[in-house]
Amino acid sequence: MDNTLKKLPPKPVNYKTRTIHWLIAIASIVIIIWSFTGMDFSGIKATAGQIAGAIISGIFHPDWSYVWNGSGEDLISQLWETLCIAFLGTFISAVISLPFAFWAANTKHKKWYASRSGKLVLAVIRSFPEIVLALMFIKAVGPGSAAGVFALGFHSVGMLAKLFSEAIENLEIGANEAVIAAGGSKWNIVMFSTMPNLMPALISNTLYRFDVSVRSASILGLVGAGGIGYPLIIALQYRQWNRVGIILLGIVIMVILIDWISGWIRKKLV
Amino acid sequence: MSEQPMIQLKNVTKIYGNGTVGLKNINLNINKGEFVVVVGLSGAGKSTLLRSINRLQDITEGDTIIDGKSITNAKGKNLRMIRRDIGMIFQSFNLVKRSSVLRNVLTGRVSYYPTWKTTFNLFTKEDKQKAYEALQRVGLADKVYTRADQLSGGQQQRVAIARVLTQNPKIILADEPTASLDPQTSRRVMRDLKMLNEEYGMTVLANLHSVDLAKEFGDRVIGVRAGEIVYDGKMSETSDAVFKDIYNGGNGKEADDE
Repeated sequence: MDNTLKKLPPKPVNYKTRTIHWLIAIASIVIIIWSFTGMDFSGIKATAGQIAGAIISGIFHPDWSYVWNGSGEDLISQLWETLCIAFLGTFISAVISLPFAFWAANTKHKKWYASRSGKLVLAVIRSFPEIVLALMFIKAVGPGSAAGVFALGFHSVGMLAKLFSEAIENLEIGANEAVIAAGGSKWNIVMFSTMPNLMPALISNTLYRFDVSVRSASILGLVGAGGIGYPLIIALQYRQWNRVGIILLGIVIMVILIDWISGWIRKKLV
Repeated sequence: MSEQPMIQLKNVTKIYGNGTVGLKNINLNINKGEFVVVVGLSGAGKSTLLRSINRLQDITEGDTIIDGKSITNAKGKNLRMIRRDIGMIFQSFNLVKRSSVLRNVLTGRVSYYPTWKTTFNLFTKEDKQKAYEALQRVGLADKVYTRADQLSGGQQQRVAIARVLTQNPKIILADEPTASLDPQTSRRVMRDLKMLNEEYGMTVLANLHSVDLAKEFGDRVIGVRAGEIVYDGKMSETSDAVFKDIYNGGNGKEADDE
């Protein structure tokens, strides 16, 4: 070998960045210690270890008899109800999201405040947590699945309309121009060019949102808005750890299945 | 017959928002049935000229008159009715890729219907037949129910031509219709445009990059440089030196573009 190839020089030492890294590390540790001192741990009971053990043992010894007993109060029926809540909520929000998306999309030939105000409204909708919405809808329509559907439907609009409007912004305007040049109206543009081009993004984002909604719907029952969350919190309160175990198992399997299926469909769409 | 020009531009000036001058005081008359080619470098203002005619872009000053009617300040339905008489062919075809060829061709008819009818796809039998006949004219009858994104570039441009034929306009603006096609396909597309010009009497105004195609198909040449018309004459009387002059900016320098 000839000696024209140089050896790798050692990494240059930069004392400034090194100091900064150390300062960040020290600050992080200080904040962690400080946050511990701000909390009151005296509430932890002496039996904590024992109960934790019972929970874990319950999860590993699930109550199989609860899976299906035909009463409509069993695991399968409750999971099905959860899925229905998620599906209806997502469907409603997809429909509501469309006009919001066109409002919030920042396209050409639009005054700047039009899309800004739309984005602001969506941000406000997004800032309401589902649980809070569910509690409000329970007061409005009474406890049960309907409250869950409304809560999910309303909350999802914030995110879904934002995703839709971004999809609209990313569309190519070429086909729109063709419709304009043929003498088409604004509505013609939407029907002939924007909607067909938007379809894959609409379906894919809606499916993704359905994924998220299934998870949310599992929790909504905790406050009484229907679905699997209600039997879960009852079982927790009565310390039926075996039942808690089977419910958790059911939720996990359902979420994974939905995740798979929607991922598979979305892949097909591209 | 040709006392009234089909397209009339009077002192048309276009200044973009950032101060760039797109068109400088253009005066131009184009008569019915002409096949006019516009040549010039990229950025000379060819596209701006065409897009000002059907107001895909608004002009800053002047007046554009289409078949006796001013489009410059037309609004709403009035504007759409004028645009109905002006078909357009684009460099990138601008088909709706996910829709069928038939639906793309029918897009040319939208301005003949009330909006709610087109929304529910209520095109008449005659119009569907008309669309199918237009596809036969460009040799794509067998593709009528195919999705547009499954066609080659040349086929897509011919679908666009069928769309314009179905629109049945008096004028066709072709904005570099062949720029993304190979030479053979380009010739086929230009032949279809010529067919619309000769058989249907449509006035064609086409931007072209290729001098060869311009010479083969154009009756009249308009040279554009830096937003101004620097040449306007019959193709038969236009020498190679004129083309060279249009492209080289009249200062003897070779263009570094292209």
